[in-house]
Amino acid sequence: MQKDLESKFLSDFEKNQNIVHKICRMYTTDQHAHKDLFQEITIQLWKYYSKFRGDAKFSTWMYRVALNTAISLYRKSTRVIKTQDISTVAYKISSVDYDDTEELQLKQLYRAIHRLSDIEKALIFLYLEDKPYKEISETLGISSVNARVKMNRAKEKLKKILNP
Amino acid sequence: MDLLDKYKKTWSNQPEEAHKLSKVEIYKMAHSKSTSIVKWIFIIGLLEFLIIIPFLFMETDTKHFEEMNILWLHKTIDIISCAIVALFVIKFYLNYKSISSLDNTKTLMDKIVKTRKTVRNYIFTGLSFISILILVMAFSSINNQFINETILFKIGIISIFIFLGAIFLGLIWLFYQLVYGILLKKLNRNYKELAKLDELN
Repeated sequence: MQKDLESKFLSDFEKNQNIVHKICRMYTTDQHAHKDLFQEITIQLWKYYSKFRGDAKFSTWMYRVALNTAISLYRKSTRVIKTQDISTVAYKISSVDYDDTEELQLKQLYRAIHRLSDIEKALIFLYLEDKPYKEISETLGISSVNARVKMNRAKEKLKKILNP
Repeated sequence: MDLLDKYKKTWSNQPEEAHKLSKVEIYKMAHSKSTSIVKWIFIIGLLEFLIIIPFLFMETDTKHFEEMNILWLHKTIDIISCAIVALFVIKFYLNYKSISSLDNTKTLMDKIVKTRKTVRNYIFTGLSFISILILVMAFSSINNQFINETILFKIGIISIFIFLGAIFLGLIWLFYQLVYGILLKKLNRNYKELAKLDELN
């Protein structure tokens, strides 16, 4: 039983791991911290996997646990090396067939996101992932109205950073 | 097209992570030790419970109580001490167990803050209890050992007790702010940001 659960978890997670990588890229700026946060999210996901009933999509469930870990549970590692250049480390994403302009834009976007607060990052992440307000407010535990107000402010802030 | 819509397209077109983890790597990670703040709160909380226990059950001079014919008080104090520790340990454990990353962000933070506050309340209840005991002992020694001293001398002794007690409590409070301040700095900031939102509407 445990073995079945474990192998299902591993294949579900392996398929959807990109979500967690994206969250780690938003909340950390170097490879070491990225790995640290990724590990803590993995621990949390596995810890609660038996409670995942499958009535929600695995990815939706993953958003919640991963964001909660990034916002509330994870403490920045003291070993973080601050001098590493984020443009060379944090975006080790395969660039085969990837348009240069788009790559530049993506880097700009991540750099701008790094200047937002933890909560703003979560809002912007859910916006970029095209999540409905209902899911956003349920994930963060705030009312839809509050989610809208806060989202508009976060978007304005992000726009200003991207296009001062 | 809105500026953010353009970036949203860029976002959805972003390539997958180049360093994808294999199942074996995920397995290893899932079974490694958590370093989350919840775990730290649990460990520090347990230590705090242990620290106060010896003070609560310190060997008070039974003879003293006998002489004053209040041995029942000695027993009552022991029972109350036990009850304080037991109640708080149970509450702390239940709070800790209820913390789950499946909750929404606000509820999760609420529960973490609540767990920490249980320990804080325990420490302050314990300290107040010990302070009262010390004061009672100070009064009783005045009535026994220093019975022939002047009123001024007696007031002086009590004042010194109160003064030292206040300094001691102050230091503990400072230590508290420091330990949890460092541990929960990020959480408190995020918590405030979400809570402030509620006040706006």
